[in-house]
Amino acid sequence: MTPSLQRYHSLSIVLHWSIALALLFMFASGLYMVNADISKADQYRVFQIHKASGVVILWALILRIGTRVFTQAPALPDSLNPQQVFKAKLGHIFLYVALVTMPLSGWLMVSASPFGLPTFVFVDWIKWPHIPGVARNKTLQVLANNVHWITAAILATSIVGHVGAFLWHKKKHNINLISRMWWNKK
Amino acid sequence: MKTPVNSSFLNRTFSMGMLMSFFIALYLSLATTVVQAELKSSHQSGSVAFSGQHAGMNFEGKFERWEATLTLPPQSNPSIIATFYMSSAKTGDSIYDSTLPEFDWFDVENHALGKFVSTKIEMTEEGYQVLGDLTIKNITQPVNFMLIDSQDQLSTSFGINRLDYKIGWESDPDAEWVSKTIFISMVINK
Ligand code: HEM
Repeated sequence: MTPSLQRYHSLSIVLHWSIALALLFMFASGLYMVNADISKADQYRVFQIHKASGVVILWALILRIGTRVFTQAPALPDSLNPQQVFKAKLGHIFLYVALVTMPLSGWLMVSASPFGLPTFVFVDWIKWPHIPGVARNKTLQVLANNVHWITAAILATSIVGHVGAFLWHKKKHNINLISRMWWNKK
Repeated sequence: MKTPVNSSFLNRTFSMGMLMSFFIALYLSLATTVVQAELKSSHQSGSVAFSGQHAGMNFEGKFERWEATLTLPPQSNPSIIATFYMSSAKTGDSIYDSTLPEFDWFDVENHALGKFVSTKIEMTEEGYQVLGDLTIKNITQPVNFMLIDSQDQLSTSFGINRLDYKIGWESDPDAEWVSKTIFISMVINK
């Protein structure tokens, strides 16, 4: 028998932590550009950076989910009861859905916007297209905008729950789940 | 007896030559006046630029393709006709350059050309006072500007209200982002 898998695939680990870092930036830039009292020029610039970074996160998420599907994930510790395993799995699926909804709703909002400003992914030769058929659709733009910020709030709460679950298991059961998402020597 | 005849013949050939060169000179000078009467210009010999503000930042662009024909006073029937290719408007900023051709801005698919046709040109001390019709997106509005005549250049700069031409009409009707006034400047090398 092969020894049971201790951690996620390296690519999953790299993506998990880079996306986590990128999310911090997305929350910060998103809230800043919408709410901060800054000049139009700065607001415009942060918008473009937020859009471009969000598109990169979308690619990273696709890669992340692909890696998750095509590689084997380590089994959850035996010490977890079936109900906890179920909740963990459900929680993770929920996180994935919320994660993907963020860039997709952002993309929809930008595609439906009356401004029709394109999204260049940091360089002039990578022009991310708009979703076809929704141009200047005010209703969809407003809808996508609402989905974007409501999901942002839900995602932020879920991430707190995600980190909370890790801390709870660590304190309560003394299991270090983080070793599943890092390269541990053992 | 022969000599005087010869000399008078020589004299006559000489004066004929004078007369011919006079006509050639006259013809040449007329020809140059004709060339000067109608001045042709294009992106190859001049520039048509536009500028304004977006998000409080200045932007500037130019038409990379245009043609103009000018007949200026004191020529009779003075006129200025200029045609510019809307899709050739370039600012060098990739976001602007991919937005400008769109439906709400220049709508180049449906309106490939912009046009200026003068209605009145008067000579002034500095150059010419020009009145005319500017057509963009099939909307014609009167404009007037001073065409300044310097030694080897004709130049002008004047503002238009982009909303008069329904430019950015849906995207930014309140000029929240893009200034209402867009300056057009033109330099023609004589
Ligand atoms: C994981 C990816 C993303 C996260 C976590 C994120 C997060 C946020 C947050 C927190 C806000 C502020 C919401 C508010 O206060 O109204 C925001 C706003 C915005 N985001 Fe994103 N975003 C992401 C991806 C994207 C993408 C891919 C795009 C577009 C291509 C985008 C476009 C926008 C726009 C245009 C706004 C401003 C909305 C407004 O005007 O009210 N976002 N984002």
